Amino acid sequence: MKISLNMLREFVSAPADVKRLASDLTRIGVNVESVREQEDDWILDIEVTSNRPDCLSHLGVAREAAAFYRKALRMPGAHLAESDIRAKDAVGIAIADTDLCRRYCGRVVEGVHVGPSPDWLRRRLEALGVRSINNVADVTNYALMELGHPLHAFDLDCIRQHRIIVRRAKPGEKLGTLDGVDRTLEADQLVIADAERAVALAGIMGGEESEISNSTRRVLLESAWFAPASIRRTAKKLGMRTEASYRFERGADIEMAPVALDRAAALIAELAGGEILRGSLDVYPGKKSRAAIELRETEIRRILGSALLAGKVERLLPALGFRVTRRGKTAWRVTPPSFRPDVSGEVDLVEEVARHYGYDRLPSRLRSAPPSIERDSRRAKESELTAGLVAIGFREIIPPAMVDPEENARFTAQPPVAIENPLSQEASAMRSSAMPSMVAALARNLDRGRHDLAFFEIGKVYTPWPNMPASSGPSAGLASLRHSETLADERRVLALGLTGSTGSAGVHDKPRELGFFDLKGHIETLLGVFDIRPLRFESLAARPYEPNLAGRFLHGNEALAEFGELRQALAAQYKLRQRVWLAEIYLDALMRHPLRPRVFRAFSKFPSAERDFSLLVPEEVTYEHLDQMIQGLARNEIRGYGPVERLPEGKIEKGYYSLLLRVTFQSAERTLTSEEVSDASRELISALAELGVRLRA
Amino acid sequence: MNIEEKIQRTLAELGADNAEIVQALFAEVRAAMEAERQGLISGGAANDAERQKACRALRDRWLARKNGIISAIDEHWLKPSPRELKPLVGRAFNELRQAGAELEVSQLASGVPIKPDHRSAAQAGEATQVQPASADPVAAPDLTLPGAHRALGSLHPVTQVLREIEGIFLELGYRTETGPEIESVYYNFDALNIPETHPARDDWDTLYVKLPGSKDNAAVLRTHTSPVQIRAMEKYGAPLYLIVPGKVYRHDNPDASHATMFHQVEGLAVDRDISFADLKGTLDFFVKKFFGSGTRTRFQPSFFPFTEPSAEMAVSCWACGGKGCGVCKQSGWVEIMGCGMVHPFVLKNGGINPKRYSGWAFGFGADRMAMIRYGVTDIQLFYQSDVRFLEQF
Repeated sequence: MKISLNMLREFVSAPADVKRLASDLTRIGVNVESVREQEDDWILDIEVTSNRPDCLSHLGVAREAAAFYRKALRMPGAHLAESDIRAKDAVGIAIADTDLCRRYCGRVVEGVHVGPSPDWLRRRLEALGVRSINNVADVTNYALMELGHPLHAFDLDCIRQHRIIVRRAKPGEKLGTLDGVDRTLEADQLVIADAERAVALAGIMGGEESEISNSTRRVLLESAWFAPASIRRTAKKLGMRTEASYRFERGADIEMAPVALDRAAALIAELAGGEILRGSLDVYPGKKSRAAIELRETEIRRILGSALLAGKVERLLPALGFRVTRRGKTAWRVTPPSFRPDVSGEVDLVEEVARHYGYDRLPSRLRSAPPSIERDSRRAKESELTAGLVAIGFREIIPPAMVDPEENARFTAQPPVAIENPLSQEASAMRSSAMPSMVAALARNLDRGRHDLAFFEIGKVYTPWPNMPASSGPSAGLASLRHSETLADERRVLALGLTGSTGSAGVHDKPRELGFFDLKGHIETLLGVFDIRPLRFESLAARPYEPNLAGRFLHGNEALAEFGELRQALAAQYKLRQRVWLAEIYLDALMRHPLRPRVFRAFSKFPSAERDFSLLVPEEVTYEHLDQMIQGLARNEIRGYGPVERLPEGKIEKGYYSLLLRVTFQSAERTLTSEEVSDASRELISALAELGVRLRA
Repeated sequence: MNIEEKIQRTLAELGADNAEIVQALFAEVRAAMEAERQGLISGGAANDAERQKACRALRDRWLARKNGIISAIDEHWLKPSPRELKPLVGRAFNELRQAGAELEVSQLASGVPIKPDHRSAAQAGEATQVQPASADPVAAPDLTLPGAHRALGSLHPVTQVLREIEGIFLELGYRTETGPEIESVYYNFDALNIPETHPARDDWDTLYVKLPGSKDNAAVLRTHTSPVQIRAMEKYGAPLYLIVPGKVYRHDNPDASHATMFHQVEGLAVDRDISFADLKGTLDFFVKKFFGSGTRTRFQPSFFPFTEPSAEMAVSCWACGGKGCGVCKQSGWVEIMGCGMVHPFVLKNGGINPKRYSGWAFGFGADRMAMIRYGVTDIQLFYQSDVRFLEQF
């Protein structure tokens, strides 16, 4: 809302210093965004919050200033020279739908000469960002800027039978509005009609056929009050937003209707000539008195932490238009004025007092929450996990969760959640896999010549619940959702993306291309933060991964992580020229496991001996088989073991591959003799022999 | 004379005519064997195949039937030894053979003993370096070369800021709470006193989602973290001290200061006798912690449907200290968050009696805080996953 300082000064004696005025207004909640000099005037640009329609006018801003500076508020005069002809003989007004129109006032001005507005009016309107049209239309806009009440002027001779009926539109009724659009109306939309047809869209825009033109001689001025919700619904539906609808949907001042009407009629008579017919038509079926609100000193103290303000109630509230009567020593009965639809409860009154007193003058106190013995294990787990990720070289990314559903489908069979009004096709669904965003992130950096990348993301994937009952009365059903219920299945995942080599080439190290086991190792490290027993691995055939190069970890039947090489056909679609390794770790499942316990176990003080066994292993025997066999031995002397080298099948002997197994022998009780080590070794070898494993000669 | 030469001669030829000399000879052989074994362990085999090869060579050198050192000793020392020395030579020879068997046995049955003691190969290497015997001066490397790095990863700047903010409130005993991102219109708007019929609803440019079986415009991508206020009140009741970090979504065309997805932090305190004074004091504490102890706060009236009274909080400009500069557009102040006393209607919707309890709440953009903290000028950078950006944090 633009405010002219000159116009404002007609309502109140504002301070000469416009900067001070701006900062004072802002301090009391009338937020002045900018101040700029224009010719002999200053224009204040005010951001008016949606609860304060009263401030969408010079009068409203002046009222705030008057209350703050303790000045009187002056209303503009309306000098009405009425003729002897009665307005009610010239036009008839009826409200058919009183639920949507609580008041309709009208005046008739006869014998006008429509033409350009005088300079002063044009300049003032233009300074406020309003285009000048003609003297009659300009007056209605000027009164709107002054008083905040929307007005409309009809060419009375275009109103059939000179009858105005405020009613809901007939389904399919047509109306050509002033913006040149022919509109087809719906039954719940309010119109101003004459005896035969709709002539205006109530509270939003007039109709073309009754528009003021240069040939107009008789003007019917309308000043009414329309129900905010109805105006809002109609304007939204029709995609229209006008100065009038903007104010009506926020709530116009029903008592301002006749005042603004008189002001405009007087100005039209002054600027366009003509005579004002006698009397104002005022159909007011919806008169309601506002309920008084009790305001207690105790509530002021409870909400603001200070009782000092109680003394301000009796000065401030009346200055803002409230009616205040004292109730006992520490309470008041307060009736809000008609222009303050936002004030309906005690706490609203507390705010009125507080904002004029100044928030910065209110007390301040630091209060902590009561201490709690509860531990936030989720936080501890997440911070250990991310510490691990950072330590092994992963960078966190936060890619958008919105994706192209087609792209999403390349990675998962789970449907994504569709967005009804997306900004673009590329962001028209909430992803059901974290992979598309991860691959896009990798691709983006590869395109920029960065070849060694390790990314992680902790984010959600979204999919509709599989059996959301189609019949359950949707919006009511959704409204009754309790806190624990969610509308869609949202799962937290940790996504990993890895590509390139083990490091950049340098004088010290020769980098090596990353492979499946680099990824698997990272995942083992991360899962190792938790105590997951038993943890099982299996190979995996899944949509985004290259067959034979994907696997997953499970606890029972619950998958904790799935990972593998991005399918090369998919990589080609992203024009990736190097292999990409991806993983999704399911955090909701993982976080249910406790962190790896920290329990000290005494270690052996006796020396250990390590032995390497060069094994010939039949092709079909996996390391997991060997592993299980050795674990099955349960020999105390075998403290640890692991594969240190593997030569592929066929190289040594057909049908076999060679594996060098390193075993550590140690006892907690004594130094093992070489015979004991040999015994344990023999037992190990003969157990492995059951799998067809032989020692290499 | 080295060992190879010695074992080709008889004891007599070597002048070993008493027990002392014989034992010294055997000790020399044992020492050589041990040294070679050690050499193998600490030696620089490039890989296990090479090490294996070396093992086999060692075994062959000592244990081969033909031309092995031990069989040569048998042949040249034991067999032709004089009778009076025979028992002694025989005993020494047996000991040697047993020791030598280590090489054999280890290779074929007990695995290759790679670390008889607990020193790693590298440690063993170091140990030999410090021995004066092998004190060949090491060719001095260029120590000014950069070290061999193992690069650390990094947390996203927004995560870092979120953690810092969370940490400040955790210090005050607040708990962290989260909520769903796909939210009902009820929790996102209606319960927060933002009915469809009120223009305030338009302050949130909303992305709606389609769910099977639900009407149009019934579910949204949450436009703020505030629905968690209601969810948490329902779940925990009062008293309640919460901090809610999370992603939110707006139907906003992306530019340098707007993103379709961004992060908010919501705070909520509900207790008996919570007043505007607590709001001011707590937020003042927060900004002093976050921006520095010299930071001042300014509260101005504002409007949010879910708080009453509502305020906009500004902090004294961190760049100029309040004197006025480009950062604060010469005003000395920068607005960073909205806050206010929880509206009684909202408490009621959360199942909390507004006559007994009162509360205060705040909400702000974490991205904006990260932009301020790190001097980032374009919010889009946070969501583009560009390493050139990420590696700076």
